[in-house]
Amino acid sequence: MTTAKLAGAMEAQRERLLPCVHCGFCLPACPTYNRLGDENDSPRGRLHLMQAVVEGRLDPESDAFQVHIDRCLGCRACEPVCPSGVEYGTLLELARETASTARAPDGLTRGLLTVMASRMLREILFLGGRTLRVTGLASVMVDVLGRIRFAGRLRFALAMLSATRPSVRLGQGVMADGMESQDTEIKDAHAPRVGVGSVGILRGCVQEGLYGRVNDATARTLDVNGYEVRTVTRQDCCGALHAHGGALTAARNLATRNIKAFERAGVDWVVVSAAGCGATMKEYGVLFEGDPMEERARAFSAKVRDVSELLAETGPRSGASVDCTLAYDHPCHLMHAQGISSEPLKVLEAVPGADVRVIAKADECCGGAGIYGMTHPDLGSRIGGDKIAAVRDAGADLVCTPNPGCMMQIGAGFCMEGDAQEAVHPVEVLDESYQRAGYYR
Amino acid sequence: MTQTLTSRVADRLRAIVGEDQVITNPDRLVAYESDGLTAYRVVPRAVVLPETTDQVSEVLRVMHGEGIEVVPRGAGTGLSGGALPTPDSVIVGTARMNRILSIDEQNRLAKVQPGVVNARLTEATAPYGLYYAPDPASQSTCTLGGNVAENSGGPHCLKYGVTSRYVTGLTVVMADGEVVRLGGAGLEAVHGLDLVGLFVGSEGCFGIATEIEVRLLPKVESIRTLLGIFDTMEAAGHAVTDIIGSGLMPAAVEIVDNATIVAVEASVFSAGYPVDAGAALVVEFDGTEAGLDDDADRAEQCCLSAGATKVIRATSDEERIALWKGRKKAFGAMGRIAPDLLVQDATVPRTRLPEVLARITEIGREYDLKIANVFHAGDGNLHPNILFDRQNQEELERVERASREIMTLCVSVGGTITGEHGVGVDKRAYMSLVYNEVEMDMLRSVRRVFDPDGRLNPGKVVQ
Repeated sequence: MTTAKLAGAMEAQRERLLPCVHCGFCLPACPTYNRLGDENDSPRGRLHLMQAVVEGRLDPESDAFQVHIDRCLGCRACEPVCPSGVEYGTLLELARETASTARAPDGLTRGLLTVMASRMLREILFLGGRTLRVTGLASVMVDVLGRIRFAGRLRFALAMLSATRPSVRLGQGVMADGMESQDTEIKDAHAPRVGVGSVGILRGCVQEGLYGRVNDATARTLDVNGYEVRTVTRQDCCGALHAHGGALTAARNLATRNIKAFERAGVDWVVVSAAGCGATMKEYGVLFEGDPMEERARAFSAKVRDVSELLAETGPRSGASVDCTLAYDHPCHLMHAQGISSEPLKVLEAVPGADVRVIAKADECCGGAGIYGMTHPDLGSRIGGDKIAAVRDAGADLVCTPNPGCMMQIGAGFCMEGDAQEAVHPVEVLDESYQRAGYYR
Repeated sequence: MTQTLTSRVADRLRAIVGEDQVITNPDRLVAYESDGLTAYRVVPRAVVLPETTDQVSEVLRVMHGEGIEVVPRGAGTGLSGGALPTPDSVIVGTARMNRILSIDEQNRLAKVQPGVVNARLTEATAPYGLYYAPDPASQSTCTLGGNVAENSGGPHCLKYGVTSRYVTGLTVVMADGEVVRLGGAGLEAVHGLDLVGLFVGSEGCFGIATEIEVRLLPKVESIRTLLGIFDTMEAAGHAVTDIIGSGLMPAAVEIVDNATIVAVEASVFSAGYPVDAGAALVVEFDGTEAGLDDDADRAEQCCLSAGATKVIRATSDEERIALWKGRKKAFGAMGRIAPDLLVQDATVPRTRLPEVLARITEIGREYDLKIANVFHAGDGNLHPNILFDRQNQEELERVERASREIMTLCVSVGGTITGEHGVGVDKRAYMSLVYNEVEMDMLRSVRRVFDPDGRLNPGKVVQ
């Protein structure tokens, strides 16, 4: 495609770029600007680069556009602080589409997006992943590769994989003195149900492949809280990874499959336990702007809820005691992209014995951002390192955060340092609490 | 036309600050063409991002030796074009100099690098029961180095004073790379001439401050905030005159007009102002708890007798913060109305506020321009925001003519051409409205003492 055509693609976004008045309120919210200090690595600077492409002053193939658009974590911390309401996340995806059309992205990224878009390839990859994980080979290799130079990226990938294994401590270790539940009176599995409506769960790609247990916990806890959980067949990956990478056509294809699948199921709510997927699905309407599918996409988006939203609405029902301390971190795609921060904490409040400590700078990105740790090893490990330090300062038994990418990133950070710290999703904690209360018997 | 830096000079700079901290690729320099005032755009030759006083000194030594102009830049949020590059300049940015060096709880002093964000200093000193008083509307992002350069004010400067009242010491790198220490240890200018006072507000023309010592204040005990709603701007102006005239000492008195209210309410920072009001007046009192309610009652009475249709009191901290948010984020919210805006800054005697406001409205009408007013009414500091689209050349010219007329108006009633944003490039043309030739020569002479070759932030303030 010619430069002029690409600039034309951005030109269509002129209306979205105009509200930026260059006030700079976004600068301190940006993890890359805070660490690098270069205007080009700030939201305002990146918007300036996009504008320069629109104005024909900058070639989308240029290093400046490619490098700085790519270096963005996509955490969207700049959005809530923007007084003009610039839709940065949407603009970034479109800029990435322009950038990747001008110059093909690296093989690793392309390969990953291809695999995630195909159910079959995905299943093979995750089967392999689970095998490495269950045999303990992944963590052994993290150890071994630590002694080999230039093995950094592979080692990090294996650390991420290793970090996805089920928490041992949540299942058994965290209970004080190994006691049984103290709340013996909570045994009635069929207490008043307050949740209203039917839900279908988006099982996702990584979430289903490596965190199937979180999806299962989502189904069980919603059921206990009165929601009618229905199975939704022929659903697919939500397309978030593709959209974030600028592969918008692939994202639309996946989105179309999901819209159709959930329409067929006729559920009231589309529930998701991965913050990144939720953010993307809530914006399917924007993804299909000007497309015949737009109206259906908007109707779909209006039904999307993070699991914590539905649970928080019902209370949720309290379970048995799980004595543990949790270091809670806000996923960017929950807090900044969806404006959800108190709901997951409310879910954890329903677990007696759980002492939740929101870590310092919990509103800052952990550096997960897809496979940022592999595509930007230096900066990614600096951002991740700061998060690990903040988690350590909280001095908790477990890390708790409701997004697979963040769970993997933080878990991997600890794994690389030989620390056995585990990361769990809030519904896993609630699920454990319900399990102990005997709600599932 | 911008000339790229020779690789020899670029290599010398890289040897000082590191490979990635020197930007010479023209595509990567585009983002530095403007600060918060986008009506002016000039791409610099290079950008250097040092981290220490020594690095700044060595960088300026190289620049001095090569005869290259230097433009200092903080967060790039200034509204008078103070960080606008010249085509031959190299920007020295302080974004990486963002460490708080020390907090002296006993003496209520802090020492910071220039790239520390204003609000972060208050956050960091809060555990000691202290805070940093000057609070520019951009305090969540602007840096203390920029505050020193512009002698920044803010809503609460009505009672607490502007930046110059809080800076007690500076480490400054001069144009030739020489490092000097002015004041310090909270002593200000007790010995000899007040060089710290002279430096604060020098708009990057005297040197680059690399360490800043500031005075902190103990946190206020209690706050009362009122919001008065008025049908007209004139009535709100009268209320301000009455409040100050009655002997009250508010911490802040702010006015926003209808156009601003509409923009803010449409943004994510909606503060709950009624969108059909002609003007909203925010009055805040702070201090010890005793007496605060009386002050608030009297101010409420002033509002009502000036014609307020409604007076609301913030009853919780959240309400108070939301109310201020609407005022403080007004600039960004303007993006909702027009693609570009020029935030003007001028000061008039408080008693002349109502007539000046009425005349500004007329000027807007005469030039067919949308003007939204936000300002620190307590000290007569106006911020008429002129909305425009820079793609429209003809409109841009009308903006310039209207600006000049507003400035002339303010000076003619006994006011001046800036309250807190500095002169930069935007107000340079208006300097002759307030200074005669003798006075202008004095300014130039002082500048030459610090920078004999005129290479530091050239073209700013005075030619």
